[in-house]
Amino acid sequence: MKWGLVAAITALTAFLVGIAWVQSGGIAQHAMFSAGNPEEAVQALMSEIQARDYPRAYSALDPSSDIDLETFTQDVAGSDSSLRTYSSLQTADISPLHATADEAVVRVRMTWSSAVGSIDDVRDLHVRREGSVWRVVWPKPAVQNVPPQVVSVNYLRWEVIGRNRSQAWGSQDVDSPKVRITSMNAIARPDRVVIVGEVENEDTVPAYLNVNATLLKADGSPLEEEGSFDMISHVLLPKQVSPYRIDFPGIQIAAVKSVRMDARALLVPASADPVIAVSDQQIVKDGLNRNVLKGELVNQSGRPVNIAQVLAAYYDNSGKVIWVSDGYVDQALMPQVAVPFAVDIPDDIAAKLKNYRVIVNHYSRTSS
Amino acid sequence: MRTLLAIVAFTICWPWALTANAQELPQVHLNAEGLAPRPIEQLTGSSIVRYYALAWQAMGQALESNLSNGVGDAFTGFAKERLVRRVAEQAQAGLHVRIVDHGHQVKALFYSTDGTAMQLTDRAELEIQTFDGNKLISTDNSAHTYMILMTPGADRWYVRDLEEVPAARP
Amino acid sequence: MAHRHRNFHRSLNRVAQLAAMLWVVMGMAMADDLHVPASVEAGQAFSIPTEGSGQATFYVIGPDHVIKRGVNLGSEIQIQAADVTAAGMYQVLVCSQACSSARFEVKAAQPAKLSFFLHPSRVPVSTPDSIDATTLVFDRYWNLVLAPAAVDFHITPATGAGTSRKLESHNGIAWMRMDSTAHEGPVQVTAALGSAQEPRVIQQVAAEACGLRMKAVPSGKSVVLETDPVRDCSGNPLPDGTVVSFTKVDEAGKSTVDTPIKKGVARTQFDLKGPAHISVACGVVLGNEVAVNGKL
Repeated sequence: MKWGLVAAITALTAFLVGIAWVQSGGIAQHAMFSAGNPEEAVQALMSEIQARDYPRAYSALDPSSDIDLETFTQDVAGSDSSLRTYSSLQTADISPLHATADEAVVRVRMTWSSAVGSIDDVRDLHVRREGSVWRVVWPKPAVQNVPPQVVSVNYLRWEVIGRNRSQAWGSQDVDSPKVRITSMNAIARPDRVVIVGEVENEDTVPAYLNVNATLLKADGSPLEEEGSFDMISHVLLPKQVSPYRIDFPGIQIAAVKSVRMDARALLVPASADPVIAVSDQQIVKDGLNRNVLKGELVNQSGRPVNIAQVLAAYYDNSGKVIWVSDGYVDQALMPQVAVPFAVDIPDDIAAKLKNYRVIVNHYSRTSS
Repeated sequence: MRTLLAIVAFTICWPWALTANAQELPQVHLNAEGLAPRPIEQLTGSSIVRYYALAWQAMGQALESNLSNGVGDAFTGFAKERLVRRVAEQAQAGLHVRIVDHGHQVKALFYSTDGTAMQLTDRAELEIQTFDGNKLISTDNSAHTYMILMTPGADRWYVRDLEEVPAARP
Repeated sequence: MAHRHRNFHRSLNRVAQLAAMLWVVMGMAMADDLHVPASVEAGQAFSIPTEGSGQATFYVIGPDHVIKRGVNLGSEIQIQAADVTAAGMYQVLVCSQACSSARFEVKAAQPAKLSFFLHPSRVPVSTPDSIDATTLVFDRYWNLVLAPAAVDFHITPATGAGTSRKLESHNGIAWMRMDSTAHEGPVQVTAALGSAQEPRVIQQVAAEACGLRMKAVPSGKSVVLETDPVRDCSGNPLPDGTVVSFTKVDEAGKSTVDTPIKKGVARTQFDLKGPAHISVACGVVLGNEVAVNGKL
C-alpha cells in the first residue's frame, strides 16, 4: 500500500513535469537542437520566431553565424518603430533549394501580418550539419555606416489658420485645395472591377485628399461606391501627382455603364520634409518567380521614417495608367540609408507595361 | 342628408388623414431652367428637392408640436434662429399651428459659381390652421409665396433664409 | 395607387375644412373688419385701429414673433418696433365672439449689412473669369433686402491701378466675375454699400511652370542637378514647396526624387553608374532632358 502510494505520486509528478516541459516549448526546443534535416531546423527556428522567443531562437543558430543577439532580434523583429515591430509571423513556407551531406540552402517565405495587410519576407537560409544536428546559419545583415553628422532641415512647412466658428456666414475663409483627376481607367479583373488613374494637386498649398468612385448602371442608378483607402498618397504637396486605385470586388465590368469620380481635398498642415529618393528601380522576377518592381528607398532627411509605403503606377505605350500596386516596407528608413523594396506586378500587366512611376508615402511617429 | 353624413364622416376621419399626411414628405417640384450663373447638377437638384421638403416637414412638426429640436437638421443661420424663436413664443402664448402641405412649385433663381448659395422662390399651396389651445382661431387655405436662400452643409443643404412675400413678387 | 391615395386625402381635407368654416360661421356673431397697413418697414412701429366694444384677444403671428394679449375693442392697438423686425408676412387676429383676421407685409429696412463671398482664395494669374464676387444685401435686422440696391466693388491689385465697378442687386444678390491679373500677389476686393464695407483678400499665385530647365554638374561619382528659377509663363516665380520631380535612367534602372522648390529652385543629387539620361518635371509640365557621362 505504502509503496503503491509512492509509485503513484512519483508517476504523477513525472507526468506533471512532462506537461510543463511540453508547455514551455520543450518539444520545439528538442526539435531545434536535434533537427535531423535542414527543413526541420528552419521550421523549428520559425516556430521560435513566431513565439517571439528570440533568445531561444538565437541560441539554436549555428555558431558560425556572425551575428549577435541584438542584431539578430532587430533583423527579425524590426526596430525603430518600423512596420515589422507591429507585425507578427503568421506562416513560414519552407522549400529546400539544394543540399549536400553537410550543407543545404532552404528558401523560407515568411508571411507577416500587420495592420496594413500581410507582408512577405523571402530569404534563402544556409543550413549546416554538425554531427547529427542541422542548424541555421543566420546571415549578418548589411548595415550601412552613415557617419555622424548634422543635417539641417530648412524645407517649407505649412500651417493653417481657418475661420473662427463665431464669425458670421459670409466672412472670409481659406478655400480647400484644388485637385484634379488627370486620368481614370476602368479595368476588368477576373473577380472585380478596378479603377486606376492619377490625381494632381494643382494648388499652391498641401492637400489631404481621398478619391471615391461610383459605378453607375445603364439607367444611371448607382451600382456600387468605393474609395481609394490606402491606395493613394493622401497628402499631396503643391503640383504633386499621386496614382490611385479603387477596387470593386465581385463586380463584373459588363454591369457598369459609366463611372462617377469624386476627389475631395482638405487643407491640412504639412511639411515638405522628408524627401525620399527612389533609386535603381527595375522590373525583375523575384525568388518566387513573380514579377516585381524593385528598387531602393533613401531617406534624404535627418529623421527616421518609421513606416514607408511605395505606390507604383504602370503605363502602357500610350501613357495610359494600366495598373497601380503598392507595398509597405517593414523596415524603418533611417537617414541616408538605402532600404530595398519590391512591389508585385500581375503577369498580364507586366507583359504590356512600358513605363512606371513610383512615389513614397511616409509615416513617422513624431512629426516636427 | 348625404352631404351632412359625408361631413360627419369626414370630420371623424380628418385627424387620421392629417396624421398620415404628416408622415410623408411634402411634394416639391423644382424648375431650374435657365439657372445662372452656375447651372445645377442633377445630384444637386435632387438634394435641393429632398432637403427643402425635409425643411417644410420639420417646420410643420415644430409649429404643431411647439418643439424645435428637429429644426437644426434642416435650417441654419437666420432662418433657424427665427423659427426657434417663433416656436418658443407661440408655445408661451398657448398657440400652435397646423400646416397641411399641398405641395410646392419651386423655381431656382440664382446659384453662385462656387456653389455656396442658391436662391429660390416657392409657390406653396398650404392650409394653415392656427389654434389657441384647442380652439381654432384661423384657417387659411391659399397659395403662399416664399423667397428662400439655401446653403450647402457637410452632407446636406440647409435653409438659411425663408421669407414669405406677397404673391406679386417673382 | 399612391396618387389616388393622395387625391383621397386631399378630398377629405377639403370637405373637412368646409365643415370647419361652416362651424365657425353658423351661429356666431359677425366679426368686424381689421384695418392694417398693406406693408410696413422692418423695425417701424405702427398702430391698428379696432371697432366695436368689449374685450377681445389680440394676436400677431409673424415669422419669428408671436403676440397674444387682451385688448379693448374700439381702441388703437400699438405695434412696437421690436415686434416687426423680421421681414415677411404677418397675420393679425382679433377674437371676441368671432375672429377677424388680416395680413400685412413687413419689408426689409434700408440696406445696412453685406455678406460678401470672394472665390477662390487662391487663383492662378492671367486666368479669365477666374474670380467670383457675390454679395448679399441685408438690413440691420439681417433681412434680405429684395429691393434693388447699388453695390460698389473696389478692386486693388498688388501692383497697378485699382478699379471700381457698380452693380445693382437683384432680389438681394449682386455678383460679378473678373479676370486675375498677370502678377502674383494679394488682391483686395471691397464690397461697399453706404457705410457698410466688406474687404476680402485673395492670393494670385503663379500658374503652371513654363520653360522648366535644369543643369547637371558632375561631382565625382555623382551629378548635382539644379533647376533655373522655376517660373510660370508670365515670369512669376512658383512658390517654395512646389514639388519638382527628377528622374534618372541608367543601367541600374530608374531613379526618381520628388523634391520641393527652395528659394525658387529645386535641387537634388544622383549617384552615377555609367551613362545616364535625366529628365525633370513639375506637375504635368515636362522640362528639359540631359545626358550625363556622355555629352551635356
